[in-house]
Amino acid sequence: MTLYRYIARRVLLLFPMLVGITLLSFLLSHAVPADPVAANLGDQAAADPTIVAAFRHHWGLDQPLYRQYLIYLWNLVHGNMGISISTRQPVLLDLRQHLPATIEIAVAAMLLSLVTGIPLGMLAAVNRERPIDQAARVASLVGVSTPVFWLGLVAIVVFYAHLGWAPAPGRLSPTITPPPFVTGFVLVDAMLSRRWDAAADWLGHLVLPAVVLSSYSLGIVTRMMRGSMLEVLGEDYVRTARAKGVTRWAVVVRHAARNALIPIITIVGLSFGGLLSGAVVTETVFSWPGLGLYAFSSATSLDFPAIMGSGIIVAGVYVLVNLVVDVAYAFFDPRIRVA
Amino acid sequence: MDAAITTPEAAAVPRPVRRRRLLPRQLSGSPLALAALAVVAGWIAVAVLAPSLAPYRPLAQSIAGRLQPPGPAHWLGTDPLGRDILSRILYGARLSIPVGVIAVALAVVLGTIIGGTAGFLGGAADEAIMRGTDLMLAFPTVILALVITAALGAGIRNAIIAIMVAWWPSYARLVRGLVLALRDREYVQAARAVGGSRLRIFLRHVLPGTISPVVILSTLDVGHAILTFASLSFLGLGPPPQIPEWGSMIAAGRNYLDQWWISTFPGVAILTLVLAMNVLGDGLRDLLDPRFRSR
Repeated sequence: MTLYRYIARRVLLLFPMLVGITLLSFLLSHAVPADPVAANLGDQAAADPTIVAAFRHHWGLDQPLYRQYLIYLWNLVHGNMGISISTRQPVLLDLRQHLPATIEIAVAAMLLSLVTGIPLGMLAAVNRERPIDQAARVASLVGVSTPVFWLGLVAIVVFYAHLGWAPAPGRLSPTITPPPFVTGFVLVDAMLSRRWDAAADWLGHLVLPAVVLSSYSLGIVTRMMRGSMLEVLGEDYVRTARAKGVTRWAVVVRHAARNALIPIITIVGLSFGGLLSGAVVTETVFSWPGLGLYAFSSATSLDFPAIMGSGIIVAGVYVLVNLVVDVAYAFFDPRIRVA
Repeated sequence: MDAAITTPEAAAVPRPVRRRRLLPRQLSGSPLALAALAVVAGWIAVAVLAPSLAPYRPLAQSIAGRLQPPGPAHWLGTDPLGRDILSRILYGARLSIPVGVIAVALAVVLGTIIGGTAGFLGGAADEAIMRGTDLMLAFPTVILALVITAALGAGIRNAIIAIMVAWWPSYARLVRGLVLALRDREYVQAARAVGGSRLRIFLRHVLPGTISPVVILSTLDVGHAILTFASLSFLGLGPPPQIPEWGSMIAAGRNYLDQWWISTFPGVAILTLVLAMNVLGDGLRDLLDPRFRSR
C-alpha cells in the first residue's frame, strides 16, 4: 500500500470514529440519574413546576433521547454545540477560549519530556543494568507514580510561597493586560501585537505547570526510548558499524538513536491522552484557564452542553493527534504501511 | 515457536511451568524489588493495624490545636480543623488500598466478559465490540471519570464505578488478544479434534489460559488506580471531606501554603505506596515481556 492510500484510509476511518465519539459523550452525559434542574436552578425556582417545565423545554430536555441526539448532531454539523447552561455563552466559543491554554501546557510538557527523556533513555540503554540505568529506571517510575496535583502544590509552596522565584498561579499576571484575542494562544497573540511583556510574563507562568505535568510523560518517554534503543543496539547493522571501526558514540547517536526514535513517535500520541487527563488536575492547581478547568466546572454543575462539548473536543483532539502520529510513523517506517 | 507468537499479547502469555520458577528467583535477586515488596507489605500492615497504630482518632477535631507544625505532640502536624495528620494518613491506607483493588478487579471482570465475548464470537460481532472499546479509549481516563462521578454524585462507590468504566476497555483488548493467541494452540486444537463443543472449549480451555496473565498484569495497575482515586478525591469527587482520604487531605492544604505539612505528608504517602507498586509491577512486566529479559 502506498503512503497516500494509507493516509486516505486512516482519514476515512476518522469519520465513523468522530460520530461514535459524539454518540458516546451524548450517552455518557445523559444516561446518568443526575438532574440538571437541581444543579442549575435555585431551590425556589426548582420548587416551581412552571419554571422547571420552561427550563426543560428551553434546553430540549423534554424530548425523547434519540431526538435530543439527532438535534444535537444536526446542530453540531452546523457549528453549533449549544449554549452552556452555566456561562450562558455558546459552548463553541467557550471551548475556543479554553482549548488553546490546554494545548499550551500539553505541548510544553510533551516537549520537555522529549528533550529530557530521549537522552536519558539512550544513556540508560547504553549503560544497561549499570547504576545509571537503575537511576533512570527509578526516576521514570517516580515520575509516573507522583500525583501531579500534589507535585503542583509542592512546587507552588516552594517556588512561589517560599523562594518567590515563580509568579502566582494563573496564565498571566493581573497587572498585564492580555494581548488582543486572535488565535487564543498567548504567545502567538503577543507576537502579533508585539506585546513582548505579555509573552515574557506568560512564559514565566508556564514553566511550573509544564514541568509538573511533564513528570508523567517523562517517565514513559524514558522507558520507551531505553527499550527501543536496546532493541536497535542488538541489530546486525550496529555490530557491522562497530566492526568497521566507527566509534562507540558515533554508532549510538548516528546509527542506533535515529532508528530507535521512530517508535517514540507513537508514544507521543499515546501519552497525549495521559497528558490531557493530567491537564485537568494541573489546571485546577495552577488556576490555568484551560479545557480541564472548564470540563471540571461544567461537570460539577451538570452543564450538559458544556460537558458534551468538552468530551467531544478532548476525544477528537486525541484521535486527531494519533492520526497524525500514525501517518508520521508510516512515513518514517515503510514497514508499517504493509501491515 | 509457532506463528501465533508475534503479537505483544501473545508474548505476554507465560509458560505456566517456567513462570512459577522464574518469577520469585529473579525478583528476589533485585534489592530494589525486595525493598518495594517491603514497602507494599508495610502499607498493607498499616491499613490493617491503623486503629492501634494511630496516636489520635482520625476525626477528632481541636480548635486550640489547629495548624500545629510537626512536633513531638503531632509528628506530622495538624490540619485546619486540628486533626492529627499522621493518624489520618494511617487511616487513609484503609480506604485507598481496598478501593484500588476493588476498582481494578471490577474493571478486569467487565473487560474479561466483553473482550472474551468478542474473541469467542469473532467476525462482525468482534469487530463491533472492539471498535466500541476503541471509542472508550479515546476519552482520557480522568475526563471520563470526572463526567461519571460528577453525574452520579461524589462518593466512594461512584468513584469506583468511574474508574471501572474508564478502565475496562484496556482489559477487554488484552483478554481478546490472549483469546486469539490461545485459540490456535495445540491443546485447543486437540480438544476440538476430540469433539468438544465451541462453548465448552472456550470456557474450559481458552478462557482459563487468559486468567493468570490478566491477573498478574492487573495487580500492577492497582497503584495506578489508587493514584486516579486520589485525583478524583482531590477534585472533590471522592468521599466527603471528613473521611480521611489522601487526595482530599492534599486538597485541604491548598489554601494554607505556609502550613506546608498539610499537603506534603499525604502526598508522600501516595508516592511511596504507588512507587513501590510500580517498581514491583515494572519488574514483573519485564519478566513477562521476553524482549526485555536478560539474555
